[in-house]
Amino acid sequence: MDTLILVIIGLVAGPVIGGLVAGLDRRVTAWFQSRQGPPIMQAFYDVAKLLGKEKMVVNQWQVLCAWVYLIAAAVSVALFFAQGDLLLIFFVQAIGAVFLVMGAMAAKSPYSQVGAQRELMQILAYEPVLILVFVGFYLTTGSFSIEAVWQLDQPLLAKMPLLYLALGYALTIKLRKSPFDFSTSHHGHQELVKGVLTEYSGPYLALVEIAHWYETVLVLGLCALFWTTNVAWMAVLLIGTYMLEILVDNTMARMTWRWMLKRVWLLGMGMSVVNLIWLYAG
Amino acid sequence: MSNLLLLLILLPVAAGAICYFVRSSAVRTLTVVATAAILTLASLGLLGQGTFEPVTVGSFLGISSDLLLTVLDFALLGVIYYYGVKNKSLLIQGFTLAQAVLLAWFEIVVLDHGTVPALVGDQLSLIMVLIVSIIGSLICIFAIPYMKEHEDHLKLKKSRQPRFFLFMLLFLGAMNGLVLSNNLLWMFFFFEVTSLCSFQLIGHDGTAIAKHNAVRALWMNAVGGLAFVLGIIFVYSQMNTVDLSVVLANGPQGALMLTGLGFLCVAGFVKAAQVPFQSWLLGAMIAPTPVSALLHSSTMVKAGVYMVLRFAPGYVDTFLSTGIAICGAFTFVACAALCIGQSNGKKILAYSTVSNLGLIICCAGINTPLAITAAVMLIIFHAISKSLLFLCVGTIEQAIGSRDIEDMRGLYAKFPRTAMITLIGILTMLLPPFGVLMAKWMAIEAASSNIYVIIMLAMGSALTVVYWARWGGSLMASREADAPAEEQATLIRMPLVALCGGAVVLSVAAPWIYNSMLAPMFQAPPFTVSLGSLDAATGSFGVVPLFIVLGLGVVYAAKAASGFRKAKVMPPYAGGANVVGDNDGAYVGPMNGTVPFTASNMYLGELFAEGKLTPVFNALAGALIVLMLGGAL
Repeated sequence: MDTLILVIIGLVAGPVIGGLVAGLDRRVTAWFQSRQGPPIMQAFYDVAKLLGKEKMVVNQWQVLCAWVYLIAAAVSVALFFAQGDLLLIFFVQAIGAVFLVMGAMAAKSPYSQVGAQRELMQILAYEPVLILVFVGFYLTTGSFSIEAVWQLDQPLLAKMPLLYLALGYALTIKLRKSPFDFSTSHHGHQELVKGVLTEYSGPYLALVEIAHWYETVLVLGLCALFWTTNVAWMAVLLIGTYMLEILVDNTMARMTWRWMLKRVWLLGMGMSVVNLIWLYAG
Repeated sequence: MSNLLLLLILLPVAAGAICYFVRSSAVRTLTVVATAAILTLASLGLLGQGTFEPVTVGSFLGISSDLLLTVLDFALLGVIYYYGVKNKSLLIQGFTLAQAVLLAWFEIVVLDHGTVPALVGDQLSLIMVLIVSIIGSLICIFAIPYMKEHEDHLKLKKSRQPRFFLFMLLFLGAMNGLVLSNNLLWMFFFFEVTSLCSFQLIGHDGTAIAKHNAVRALWMNAVGGLAFVLGIIFVYSQMNTVDLSVVLANGPQGALMLTGLGFLCVAGFVKAAQVPFQSWLLGAMIAPTPVSALLHSSTMVKAGVYMVLRFAPGYVDTFLSTGIAICGAFTFVACAALCIGQSNGKKILAYSTVSNLGLIICCAGINTPLAITAAVMLIIFHAISKSLLFLCVGTIEQAIGSRDIEDMRGLYAKFPRTAMITLIGILTMLLPPFGVLMAKWMAIEAASSNIYVIIMLAMGSALTVVYWARWGGSLMASREADAPAEEQATLIRMPLVALCGGAVVLSVAAPWIYNSMLAPMFQAPPFTVSLGSLDAATGSFGVVPLFIVLGLGVVYAAKAASGFRKAKVMPPYAGGANVVGDNDGAYVGPMNGTVPFTASNMYLGELFAEGKLTPVFNALAGALIVLMLGGAL
């Protein structure tokens, strides 16, 4: 029963928090750039507007893929709130990632095709890092289930600092922020073209947007697990991490997939492996 | 009991002989379909009777079955040697001769000819019999219309189908024999029969390249055969028996036995085409598609992983075990990397097979109840999904004349049924809550205590997503409202639908499969099942709940998608210059000419080129195998 309540909280709170984070993100970014920026609720207005638009599609697969992306993202957040198995949550999340790519590939548009291929490269970069982070959880708590994390008496960050940094890489990629935002990057001359998202429009783009909010909550939730012993410190960790993400997003140029793959596999996985060796030795 | 066993092993042989000698296509069709039905029922019947202790097989016409088998063994080696001479392959001749000499010395000088029960049926054998008999049969049925079309295309004067179905069916009998063997010498005989069958089937088309690849497969498998003979000799010198259940009963027993098991596992590696032995399986892609499907899902390569898994209790908690885990994990990641660089559909399937077999072997090496469960689950679900995908590629190839995934772009537009089945097959290989992914989940959880293995599994897992997702995406396309429906022959559609349905339904049934067939294998089963969810101390996988939630979601999404014509169907974005009235992505180019839409996947040639990586991987894998065997010594 408790689990069911948690699941419902997750399903409802997911998009609300995700949307607010997106709004705050834009405000802080504007502040960095000495602009005023849109209201914090702007992300919700945007999605509401998209939902009201006329339905236009290139083909039926996009409708299917947008929905499946949303459903998988929501289910993974629900599983997270239900204190489920971290690896399973990750694999369910991967359903959404794969369907987003396949939907983009279904359209005969060069932009969405290129975006899809790049999105695959992003998945290739962050997946092994995430799995290794979960292995770190397993080595520390003896289980892949989130329940076990709450029973720790000292924050995970103390044992897995490098894995947290590696998770930061994955977070930047997953949130599609610079320098790793090339799968949804704007095409040189047309502000409206957006890589993997090019052919999703109107209500279907809204679905993709809401799914992205769920994913934001999921990755922030993962970060939160690193400090479960104290709510205040957890908040500090989350705010600090997200601020850093925004800072990185605004100060870094967009890079190529080759740069990302080498960087993340060498540095991200390198740090993970070093940290894992500590845990194995400990 | 014994009758059922003999039926499973000898009926396919007899049916194969009928196909070979009665050269009528109607008789052949009837024989294959009837054999398929009987084999399916017999394997289910065997399952119904449950596991059984080792049984002895009596004598035929007054000759003891062991002696008969020995004679057949040498006859078989003679046949293989003959093909070595015929194809002027010194490698085949050498390795076969070495086997024959060693085996003769062993049988005449060393072996104490007591009675050894020939056959045994534990959980693993019964599962394997089901896979061989049911999936193998479906592939044989598919082959009936497929081979007819194949030969029409080749314009042969004289049909080679009698020969083809002889070896296809013989293969099934040999596999059933192999997985039911309790006597190592019996196992060796069936092991060699599968090598011969694969040689014949790979070279079936008789072209120069087919012959070349068949010869390579035969000499490589002869290496495996030699390792097998050495393995038997080492094991015997420690344990004084060739009775497998006796050998494995008490776990690891000294260096000689471990070395022997190490050699037997190397034989399994060759059969399962593990790096550096993968080239024979890649070469086997030249064969007609039903052969590929058979080799990759229910026979040949599964014989290899079966052996490694079968001997697992004999090397548990040893360095050999760790070595096997590392070799398997290395193949998993290496072949996933090689797969990224491929656009040939059959090669993608081949590399992904080898990669998955690596994972199975890795699990056998980790050798905990959780890992063994993962390995058996992978065998089951990989067999179903992979046979389905091969049959799909065969169907697609006969429809569009290419097996390149770039040519399969937008397949849904013309062949919606085949495209959908292929897509479902791909998803069952890749995503939860399907069986293959569930087994992969188990494997990762089981491997987490070994840092080398887990790093390789993490990397391999990510690489896997790339090659499946881009293939799946390529198949999707718009379909005209008035496009004609796709036609499929009944004997093509039946196996495709059966395997596709099987992949989904058995995935849902995974908790019950686990409870009834896998849990009894262990004293301390790794999972408990509640509400359709597999729960362990390390984590849980809610199979049925996930199926319900995601299933309802996908049904809803499909319903929304089916109403897409109510939405405005637009041409894709082409930078503001679409060709008017064209929904196909064409745009107005220079000189007002029409530029049609083209796209291609990224194959990451600079990172994952086959030619560049293969020698490196082969060297590394060779070193790992030496390390593994050296540790056993």
